[in-house]
Amino acid sequence: MLRGAAAGVLGLSAVPLLTSCGTQPPAARGNPTGPPRRGGVLRVGTAGGGSSDSLDVHNPITHPDICRGLNLYEPLLYRKRDYTLESCVAESVEVSKDGLSWVIRIRDGILFHNGKPVRPEDVIYTYRRVTDPKKPQAAANLLSSVDRDGFSKIDDRTLRIKLKAPDVSIHDVFADYRIGIVPEGYDPKKPIGTGPFTFVNFTPGQESTFARFSDYWREGQPYVDELRIINFTDDSARTNALLAGQVEAIESLPYAEVRVIEADPTLRVLKSRTGNWNPFTMRVDVEPLRDVRVRQALRLSIDREEMVNQVLSGHGRIANDMYSPFDDSYAADLPQRTYDPDEAKSLLKAAGHENLQIELVTSPVSQGIVEAAQVMQQQARSAGIGIKLNRVDTGVFYGDDYLKWHFAQDFWGTWPYLVQSALGSQPSSPFNECHWVDPTYLDLVGKAKQTVDDDKRSRLLEQAQEIEYERGGYIVWGFLDLVDAYSRRITGLKPSEKGIFPLDAYRFREVWFV
Amino acid sequence: MLRLIARRLLVGLLVLFVVSLLVFGASLLLPGDAAQAILGRTASPDRLAVLREQLHLDQPGYQRYLSWLGDLFTGSLGDSLANGQPVAELVGQRTANSAVLLLCSAVIATPLSIIAGTWSALRRGRAVDNVVSTGTLVLAALPEFVIGILLILFFSTTVLHWFPAVALVDENRSLFAQSAVLVLPTLTLVLAVSPYITRMMRATMLEVLDSEFVQQARLKGLPERVVLVRHALPNAIGPVAQVIALQLAWLAGGVVIVEYLFRFPGIGQGLVDAVTNRDLPTLQALVMLIAFVYVLCNLLADVVSILSNPRLRTAR
Repeated sequence: MLRGAAAGVLGLSAVPLLTSCGTQPPAARGNPTGPPRRGGVLRVGTAGGGSSDSLDVHNPITHPDICRGLNLYEPLLYRKRDYTLESCVAESVEVSKDGLSWVIRIRDGILFHNGKPVRPEDVIYTYRRVTDPKKPQAAANLLSSVDRDGFSKIDDRTLRIKLKAPDVSIHDVFADYRIGIVPEGYDPKKPIGTGPFTFVNFTPGQESTFARFSDYWREGQPYVDELRIINFTDDSARTNALLAGQVEAIESLPYAEVRVIEADPTLRVLKSRTGNWNPFTMRVDVEPLRDVRVRQALRLSIDREEMVNQVLSGHGRIANDMYSPFDDSYAADLPQRTYDPDEAKSLLKAAGHENLQIELVTSPVSQGIVEAAQVMQQQARSAGIGIKLNRVDTGVFYGDDYLKWHFAQDFWGTWPYLVQSALGSQPSSPFNECHWVDPTYLDLVGKAKQTVDDDKRSRLLEQAQEIEYERGGYIVWGFLDLVDAYSRRITGLKPSEKGIFPLDAYRFREVWFV
Repeated sequence: MLRLIARRLLVGLLVLFVVSLLVFGASLLLPGDAAQAILGRTASPDRLAVLREQLHLDQPGYQRYLSWLGDLFTGSLGDSLANGQPVAELVGQRTANSAVLLLCSAVIATPLSIIAGTWSALRRGRAVDNVVSTGTLVLAALPEFVIGILLILFFSTTVLHWFPAVALVDENRSLFAQSAVLVLPTLTLVLAVSPYITRMMRATMLEVLDSEFVQQARLKGLPERVVLVRHALPNAIGPVAQVIALQLAWLAGGVVIVEYLFRFPGIGQGLVDAVTNRDLPTLQALVMLIAFVYVLCNLLADVVSILSNPRLRTAR
């Protein structure tokens, strides 16, 4: 039932992948072995955030928000290190044969932080809160197929969710970190979830303190008594705090610091591969990008290996203009697009756009974005393309022209294919930055969404990806690695081959002090 | 004299009013609004519309300014657009933290520079004077964040591990109880402002020591200590007070970079945050506060120079 079950067999990893049951510590090189020890205060430095930080699990904006959310709350299902799904608040989820309803069975004995058991009413309240049309929460559009009035309680631990149309992506959405299960009448100011840590204290833009939840359902976890999540807007302040021993772990180590940290005998670097991507976005409905030859020419004028080396200091892998590499349906068989300025030139000539001059809007919205624009500007010269960089501050980027820029950039996390497509590649998507409306593509994705059979669905999605590969609006040049760092005083954080978030997806419930 | 101060106070109030208008106008010119800043890349049109209505961003600018001004007269600074908490609460804690930092810096920097400047002047042309002159020149040439980074490198991350590199302040305890976090930021600010005061002190002291009334005092056979304390110092302190006031006023604004560097939860960090979030009420409150400190410091400097100068003291 769980999608992606085959992924674990691929044996990609050089690093032991563990299931989330953390009673057995990892035997990774240099890591201490033995049973986990209880106690201690774990201090973590996160990147970004500010006074608009929030504890509302359904509306996380920044990394500190996500980090807090993942430790206070839990969704129905949970995404493991190998990118497969496991049961969490829900013991099981089952779809009916016609694909129109899901039966959710709640884990026996699972408690909220206030000591009350999770009831079907709480799950229903959660899903209705997320999809409230008056105040739609961040994941609302992923639940568009859910019938808001069709929830029903079957017994004290079971409920049914009705869909307006079959939608297999719901299974992935059950594990969305932005749909943590909250009790009926949830107030984000007094946050209550089922996560491994309970709320103690929170100062927006500064730090938050959480305590060990002693009734947490995973046996023995978490190991530390207290978790402090500290905001750092400045990269060097974050690194300095680690070097001075003021925090045990930090996310997003600046690439320039990797060697310094690796050389320090008291610290460790934690690297994870992810499906995160920072694409160039080309609007397919404006001149000259409307012409598919111009888009392909731009895709051919990028030296992807150089891009990974220069922009990510080698901490990443090249990509092939498609996203969601961990999805079972990822079209890995399509030939890798390479740097070919000559082909780009002749495509542009055929399209009547020889010596193309084009403006690229760039903004430091995420690490390496502006650098990527600068490298592309250099590389595209060989194809006779003149790129004029228009560097704007983040306020302007997300201002009135957001999602309307002709040729710009963005950053995306790691999502399953159908979820990613719903977020950015359909007319109904909230972030369709390429203005990508392709009837054949939509037809394929629509069919795939309703196809319960894994193989059939994968074939449909491969065709959909081929269309994006042939004429889409994204230039996906690489997938980023996450590079974090932590002190050897702690252990339990593990590198991942299929990571999603920094610091082992903020899995602090498995961390203990050596 | 009192009339002069009253007049200065009125001008100060006018300045504050103009500043409030300017800040409001400038922040309206900033691209994007609080709703867009808060939602960032998740700013879909429907979510934007809901948030804008909640934050009253759909009202025209002048109306928002007037309601802000109205609130101010009833003693309220409004609510933060970023997180809905009262601005007074947010700004209050930060102001207290910054005030502690500024106070520590001023209390150390002022006497230190006056002593260093005087000493240097008395040892004119000798080794001590050269060391002080060169040292202050070098420090004056270094931007404060460079000084801060060097201090962090030396005292907390690389060479020694004496002091914390960043200020992780526990809000529930007094700042003085966690005084270790104050050391490096204070030292940075002291090193940033002292050179100017020291050099000014040295220059005016030299001038005074060369003046006729000091020669007269010496000729009368007064001991050198009395010449220095009774006659030279009071005359040298007037111009120096101006520089001190300017430096203290600079501290109020210049603390922004130092606070950012040390992640110190003060008004500087609050200011950066308020601009990023387009959080107008918080921004207004903080800028007004800094402007107020400027006005106050200048007023005090004027008063001190008047008091130390008999000609001005009796002037009408």
